[in-house]
Amino acid sequence: MSTQTKSPGISLDYVKTIGIVNNGFNGRGFANPYDIIADDDGQIFVLNRCDPARASAIRIGICNLDDEYLGEFGRGNGSGDGQFNWAVAMALDSQGNLHITDEYNHRVTTYTTAGEYVSHWGTPGSEDGELNGPAGIAFDSADNLFVVDQHNSRVQKFSVDGTFIAKWGSSGSGDGKFNLPWGIAVDSDDNVYVADWRNDRIQKFSNDGKFIAVFGSSGQGEGQFQRPTSITVDLEGFIYVADWGNERVQVLAGDGSFQLLLKGEATLSKWADEYLASNPEEKAERDVSNLTPNLPAHLNTPYHTSSQTEPYFWGPVSLTLDNQGRLYVVETNRHRFQVYQKR
Amino acid sequence: MMISNDTGLMAHLLRRAGFGATRDELEKYLALGYEGAVEVLLNPSEPNNMPDDLIRRYHVEQSELRDIAGSAAYWMYRMISTSCPLEEKTALFWHGLFATGYAKLNQARSLLNQVDMFRRSGMGSFEDLLVELSQDPAMIVWLDNIENHGSAINENFGRELLELFSMGIGNYTEDDIKECSRAFTGWTLGNAEYMSIRAAKDSIWPYGRIAWHFDYREEDHDDGEKTFLGETGNFNGEDIIAIIAKQESTAQFVATRLFQFFAADEVTEYGEKAIQAMMETYFSSGYQVRDMLRTLFHSDYFKSEEARYARVKNPVEMVVGAIRMAGSYQNPALGIENVSRNMLFMGQGLLQPPTVEGWHEGSEWIDSGALVERVNFVAKELSNVKSPGVRSIIDRLEAGSDAGILDPDELADGCLDLLGPIEVSEATRSVLVEYAARLGNLDLKDHLQGDLAEQRVGNMLRLVAATREYQLA
Repeated sequence: MSTQTKSPGISLDYVKTIGIVNNGFNGRGFANPYDIIADDDGQIFVLNRCDPARASAIRIGICNLDDEYLGEFGRGNGSGDGQFNWAVAMALDSQGNLHITDEYNHRVTTYTTAGEYVSHWGTPGSEDGELNGPAGIAFDSADNLFVVDQHNSRVQKFSVDGTFIAKWGSSGSGDGKFNLPWGIAVDSDDNVYVADWRNDRIQKFSNDGKFIAVFGSSGQGEGQFQRPTSITVDLEGFIYVADWGNERVQVLAGDGSFQLLLKGEATLSKWADEYLASNPEEKAERDVSNLTPNLPAHLNTPYHTSSQTEPYFWGPVSLTLDNQGRLYVVETNRHRFQVYQKR
Repeated sequence: MMISNDTGLMAHLLRRAGFGATRDELEKYLALGYEGAVEVLLNPSEPNNMPDDLIRRYHVEQSELRDIAGSAAYWMYRMISTSCPLEEKTALFWHGLFATGYAKLNQARSLLNQVDMFRRSGMGSFEDLLVELSQDPAMIVWLDNIENHGSAINENFGRELLELFSMGIGNYTEDDIKECSRAFTGWTLGNAEYMSIRAAKDSIWPYGRIAWHFDYREEDHDDGEKTFLGETGNFNGEDIIAIIAKQESTAQFVATRLFQFFAADEVTEYGEKAIQAMMETYFSSGYQVRDMLRTLFHSDYFKSEEARYARVKNPVEMVVGAIRMAGSYQNPALGIENVSRNMLFMGQGLLQPPTVEGWHEGSEWIDSGALVERVNFVAKELSNVKSPGVRSIIDRLEAGSDAGILDPDELADGCLDLLGPIEVSEATRSVLVEYAARLGNLDLKDHLQGDLAEQRVGNMLRLVAATREYQLA
C-alpha cells in the first residue's frame, strides 16, 4: 500500500526493504547509516556513521538489490588514515572512487569501491579551500566536486583531488545564504541544489554558484520542510527531498511545486525474516501485533510517531536514485533502506 | 569575606532550585528580587535548551536512543543548557522517587518519555501525576503491571504505589494492596506481549527499538466491587489514586520528600515546621506541587542559616553544576557520554537508579568512596581556562581588581565569590589564601589565554572544588 497523498506528475511504488540493525560486529547489517549510493554495476554502498562505542561498525557496507551482503570496508573510529569520527556523506566520481566527508576531522577521504584506502585531504579553517564541518558532497558531469562547508555557511567547488576552484554563500536566511547546510545534489544540467538544513528549504544554484531559486518553508504541510537533509534530482527534473525532521520524503517538480510524499512502508527484509525465523517466540507475538498503532496525543509528533511505528521512516537522512529509476531512502534510526520504483 | 544577605540567599535558592548559578545568572535573578526569582523558577517558560535537531544531527546514538550511555547524555545536554533549571531539578526529583531503571526495560526512549512527563506534570497536581505515572509505559513494565490481569493480579505496582510512591508503609493493609492492584488490571501497553518479549531479550532486531505507549484493555480489567482504605465501589485506577491523594499520610510523604530533596538531608524540629506548612498547602491548593515548593522556598527555615549547606550535592548536581559554571559543552561534542559515565562512577547514573527505592542520598554520596571522582571531575572542569565560563570568571576577577593586581586574599575571596558565593570556614579560607600566597600577588593585566596568570586562577578554582563546602548545596 502506498502512502503517497497525490501524484499529478510522478508515481512511486514501494519495492522492498533491505537491512537489519548491526550492533557493532562484522558482517551484514547497518549501524546508524547516514548515506547511500548505488553504482551502475548494481552495488549499493551504505555509509554507517555509528558512534565511538561501536567503532568497528563505522564503515561502508556493500550489498545489492538481491539482499546479498557483499562486504564492507573502513578502518574504524578516529583520525588516522581511512578512519572516521563523524562521517556524513559520500559521492562517487567517474573513475569509481568514493569520496567521504567527515565533519569532525574536517576532511574528505577517498576509497576505491573495492575498499582500498586512497588518500584524504582537507585542512580545518575558513580560508579558501579550508573546511569547517564538511557535510554533503556531490560531483558534476565534469568531475568537479562540490562540498557543503556547513560551519563556514558555504559551498566550495574543488577538482577531484581537492584543489580549490570556487566558493559561494554566507551565514543567513536570504537568497544564497545558509544556516548549517547539509546535503547537496547536481542535476543533469549541472545545476546545484543545497539542503539548507536549518532554514528548512532547498536552494538551487547554477554550476558556478549563481542563485536561481528557493523551494520550501518551515512546517509540516505539503512542500514545507523540517530540517531537510538530502536531495537528489532525476533526469526529468523531479526533486526528491529527505524531509528528515518530518520523518518523510517529498518529491517536487522542477519548479518546486509539491508532487507527492512518502511516509515509509517498510516490510521485513530478507535478513529480518531470517532473524525472526530463528526466534519463533518473538515472531509469533510480532505477527499478531499492530505495528501502526494509534498513539496518545502527547506522542503525536513525527519523531515520536516514527519511534513507535516500525514501517514508517525514522531518521530518513539520505536518498539516492539508481540508473533504473529506483529511489533508495536510508534511515539512520532503523538501520535499513527502503526502495521505491518510479513509474 | 562578607556576603550580602540577598546575594547569599539567592545563591542558596539557585543551588536548590537549580544547579547553582554563574555570576551572570545570579545577577539576572537578583534583579528580580527573591519573590520574583521564585516565581520565575516555579513557572518555567521556554527552556532554550540545546535543540533536539542539533543533538540528533551530530549524535546518531542520541537520535535513536537505543542504549543507556547516549540516552543519559541526552538528558545531560538538557540539564546543562536549560534556562528553566527547576523544571529539570523537579524531573530529577521524581526520577529518584519514582525510580525506573534502564536495565529491566531496555527501552531508553520510553524512559525519556517518562522524564518528559515529569517535566509536563511534575509541578502540577500530585493526583494527576500519579495517574500519569500509572499510565506510563516504562513504569508499567518496570513494576510488572504488564503482568497484572483481571484473572490473576500482580501486586508489584500496587504495593509500591502505596509504599514508595505515596503513603508509606504502615498506612494500609495487605488487603488494600490487593484491592489497589485489582483496580489497575488492564493498564498496559500497546502490543504488550511483543514488547515484553523484546524487553526481556534486550532485542534490537530487526530494525532497532520500538518505543512504547499506554493501552487500556477493558476486557482485562477487573471491574468488580473493591474496598480500599475503607471506601467501597467499582473502582478503577483513577478512583484509587483519588483516595490515595486525600490521605494525610500522602501529604506527609510528599512534603517530606520534597523537603529532603530541596531543603535539607536531615529533618530537624525547625525543618518540621516547613513540612507542616507544605502539608497544609498540599490540601489547600488541591495537591499542587508547585504551591508546596513555593511554601518551602518562602519558609523561614529555607531562608535560615540552618538550611545553608544542609544537603550533600548529588552527583548530577555536582557534574551539571560544574559544566554550567565552566560553560563547556555549549554545542554537541564527542565526549558527552563520558560525562554521563562520570556521574555513574560517582554513584548516580541517570536513568539507572539501582532499585525502585532510588538512590540513597545525603552523606552516602560521599561515604561511598566517590569523593575523589567528584573532586577530580569538578577540578578538571573549573581549571580549564579555555572554557568560556572560566574565562568569564578571570575577566571578572581582573575587572574587580586594582589595575589587574590581586593579592592572595583577593584571589581566594574572588574565586569563592564567583563560584557561589560560597561561605567557607575560616580554616578552609586560610588554606586557600596560603596557597595563593606561594606565588605572591597575581597580575592579570594583559593576561592571555592559558598563560601563567590564568593558570593560577584555574588552580585556585580547582582548589575551591576540593573544599568541603563545595561538596554541599
